[in-house]
Amino acid sequence: MLSENELKILDFLRKRKESTSQEIGEATGLPPSSVFSIIATLESKGIVKVISEETRRVARLTEEGKLRAEQGLPEDRLVSTLNGKPAKIQELKSVLGKDFEIGFGWARRKGLIIVENDTVIPKVSSHVSPEYIALKDLQAGKEIEREMLDSLVKRKLVEVKEEKVLKVQLVKDVEVRPAELYLTHEMLTTGSWKNYEFKPYNVEADPPFFPIGKTHYFRDFIEKVKDLMVGLGFVEVSGEFVETEFFNFDMLFQPQDHPAREIHDSFVIEGRGKLPDGDLVKKVKEIHEKWWRYSWSEDNARRLVLRSQTTAVTARVLSGAPRAIRAFTIGKVFRPDSIDATHLIEFHQMDGLVVEENFTFRDLLSTLRDIFQGLGVKQVKFKPGYFPFTEPSVEVYGFIDGLGWVEMAGAGLLRKEVTEPAGVYSPAGAWGIGIDRLAMLFLGVKDIRDLYSLDIEYLRSRRVI
Amino acid sequence: MPTINLNKWILQDLTRLNEQELVDYLFRLKSEVSPVNQDEYSIEVNADRLDMLSLGGIVRALKGITGRELGEPKYTVRDTDYVLEVERVPSRPYALACIVYNVKLNPDLYLKELIQFQEKLHDTIGRRRKKVAIGIHDLQKVEGKVIRYAPVPLSTTFVPLYQEKEMSVKDVLQETPQGKQYGNISVWDNYSPAIMDEKGILSVPPVINSDRTRITENTRSLLIDVTGTNFDSVVETMDLLVTGLAELGGIIGRIKVKGMNVETSPVLRHTLVPFSLEDVNRRLGINVSKDEAVTLIRRMRMEVETGDGLAVVVPPYRVDIMNYTDVAEDIAMAYGYDRFTLESRRGMVTGSLSEKSEIYRKLRTLLIGAGFQEIYTLVLTKSDYQRGEVVRIANPISVEYDSVRNSLLWNSLLFLSNNQHSRFPVKIFEIGEVVRRDESKDTNYANATRLAVAIMDSKVSYEILQSPLHQVLLNLLGIAPSYRRVDNDILMRGRSAEIILRDERVGVIGEANPEILRSFNLLYPVLLAELDLDALRRVI
Repeated sequence: MLSENELKILDFLRKRKESTSQEIGEATGLPPSSVFSIIATLESKGIVKVISEETRRVARLTEEGKLRAEQGLPEDRLVSTLNGKPAKIQELKSVLGKDFEIGFGWARRKGLIIVENDTVIPKVSSHVSPEYIALKDLQAGKEIEREMLDSLVKRKLVEVKEEKVLKVQLVKDVEVRPAELYLTHEMLTTGSWKNYEFKPYNVEADPPFFPIGKTHYFRDFIEKVKDLMVGLGFVEVSGEFVETEFFNFDMLFQPQDHPAREIHDSFVIEGRGKLPDGDLVKKVKEIHEKWWRYSWSEDNARRLVLRSQTTAVTARVLSGAPRAIRAFTIGKVFRPDSIDATHLIEFHQMDGLVVEENFTFRDLLSTLRDIFQGLGVKQVKFKPGYFPFTEPSVEVYGFIDGLGWVEMAGAGLLRKEVTEPAGVYSPAGAWGIGIDRLAMLFLGVKDIRDLYSLDIEYLRSRRVI
Repeated sequence: MPTINLNKWILQDLTRLNEQELVDYLFRLKSEVSPVNQDEYSIEVNADRLDMLSLGGIVRALKGITGRELGEPKYTVRDTDYVLEVERVPSRPYALACIVYNVKLNPDLYLKELIQFQEKLHDTIGRRRKKVAIGIHDLQKVEGKVIRYAPVPLSTTFVPLYQEKEMSVKDVLQETPQGKQYGNISVWDNYSPAIMDEKGILSVPPVINSDRTRITENTRSLLIDVTGTNFDSVVETMDLLVTGLAELGGIIGRIKVKGMNVETSPVLRHTLVPFSLEDVNRRLGINVSKDEAVTLIRRMRMEVETGDGLAVVVPPYRVDIMNYTDVAEDIAMAYGYDRFTLESRRGMVTGSLSEKSEIYRKLRTLLIGAGFQEIYTLVLTKSDYQRGEVVRIANPISVEYDSVRNSLLWNSLLFLSNNQHSRFPVKIFEIGEVVRRDESKDTNYANATRLAVAIMDSKVSYEILQSPLHQVLLNLLGIAPSYRRVDNDILMRGRSAEIILRDERVGVIGEANPEILRSFNLLYPVLLAELDLDALRRVI
């Protein structure tokens, strides 16, 4: 397989059999350095042979020389501009520009013109300098006389250099096929691919950008939590963002005058909802008034909020009076707060509920340990806690390398004050886990806002493993 | 959770526990200790343990959990010849008073701690003084033996705490910071409740005390008044206060009460909570003997009656014990949560994902295959971004998040707007919940699951979105969608369609119109589609 330039040289040598590097360069338009390196490659492939190597003095036109060979010498241009008639210097300057000074000097020296005051008077009507003919000869590769060469060098129209000249001979012709970029269906069908050479690709270059599709890293974490819960035997349930205070608070034994129910602790939606039919509302009212000693208001319970805890979903499940269930929900909750690197006004909770005939506090602790082990938290410890709707209550702490013990969940056995009004008479365990904070710990995210990043380059840059 | 600050050295001295022991034992009592400076701890106390909002209460609990003292302490109670006369106060009907002798308020760390206890009780059981308020006076400065709780006209004058001149109650309510904050809680018809001695006003509940009976670090005996709107809460607050002081050496002075349904005060109420050991063991999943259970309960500073059945005698300071489940928790705490033997409950039954999650996963796999980047944005957004009926928040914290999204398109446009300098093309999708009005729900609102897909590039055409989305839907459902030209106010006229599956309209697709692009500061063309996944599920 030969490169395009190798092929050019090979083509030239096919006609000549023997040639020099100089001729090859002129014929192919390749710079001398390329010619030498390609000859060396071809020789290494056994296609050409270098017969001799000598150093020659070679005369070449300079850039100016090339220009003069094309346009004529300045003194000749001056004469032809005069066209046999005298003219003012100023006029000539404006026509010939910079060349006027050079042409004027040489024309006087050669006696082609005379000058009177500011007027140039021609002595001839046209002139072709021998230097011009010599330049043309040199370009055509002809030899010129030594004297002439010296004068051209002096005028900086020609330079003489020592050049290496290789004499090469074609020793083995190779079958050369046309080069192609694309292998086509056509070529494969007809078998014509055998007749083509395929151009190499620049396989080592960095590729252009390609936008791939990728799952969102935080949602991947949430799906992992769901898988874990399903694996532990839990059924996924879901609820609504807009909830009545009845399910968000009252059913969970949170008194209406409790500080956590003040207006600045949940987002309020205008309007009122409906309370469930049946005895549930009556029983909730009774139990609140008995234990919390205030007058329970149905209107307060009908107020609408954006749920502030996914336990509202647990309350909804309980209101269906399940005999036995293992359920979980994972979703957004909303709480007014000031937004910074560790706080947002919406985040996820995973709430779980177990209703089983012989369910114990020990079973609850065991379940919590199973969950956190499944999430990758190897060590957990339990701290007694307090939630209005559970007793006994527990806070779960997990050990995270580099951080120590981190509070991860609140849990407990639901109070009878919560389960019995709903018609649930078996023991029930429940918990809530803040998912965003946990995700930050596991995903190495320092700013909670990055979990909901609006920067696609950030999402593109996150590695998947 | 309420937090109190206590002097480190006093606490260590009274409990004879070092810092690590304090941290460990208080952890078992639902509390968390963190040092504030070299002399002070900040202790987070759980909201149910009102007794632990004071130094005395914490010391009492620690002495129990470490086993140094068991059961209810025997506090000295002495009868006095003081009388509280309660008249009818319609706005705040209940009042009690009592005396505590031999109180230690020196150094003033003790005085500060007492005031902190009072404030914490105001904020918790007192519901910011609405339900219960406390007044504490220097007994030596109280004139006479008869204390009255009665309405006074707002024109009545006295010198309020830290003021130099007499002021009318009306001025106190209008001019002092406490008056402005709590003034309107119990005033009615130009009257305010007041606690008075022979000489005049001692306090104007729930607002402020008089300066005349102000307590100082030299005070030795206290007159305490507690008023409120609920009798039981008033009783409990008084009991919490006096038992906290008695634990530090105070002697409780009982006074006679006229006009309330108790004869004397403090009540020092004990309640009996019967329980069966079997119920407790079954709830906890452990097996403690009767003797063990009794010891564990006594460690929690309560007594047990062991007659025919078991019953906890709940002391006046444990106002959180309601029934046997609370007893079970106290037994568990004394037993130690770390002593429960855990067994894996994995694999006993099978679980399942919700149908929503199943569809979510399948759909997103297909969209990833089609080369779209999944995004995840916030549910709350700016109402200005939205069109159509918007679910507004009545008490937003900022205009940026004053509503719940009713479509995912606003979030997609905002996302694209934020990425105009990123590498093109930007191809995104999001599956998530929005909220729509729905009269069939008990809240009148319902979540709806949506899919939004969008492409932004320097040049776009309808098919570059339609064609992958078509394949996604065809692969998801095995049904090829059809398209019906329809105009839509966010898409360009003539460049938008409804997506139809089996005669059901499931979404829209088209090119965003320049007006909506400009409203999101978007300077590149955008293709958009939104699908209603609930409608999609109905088609399946």
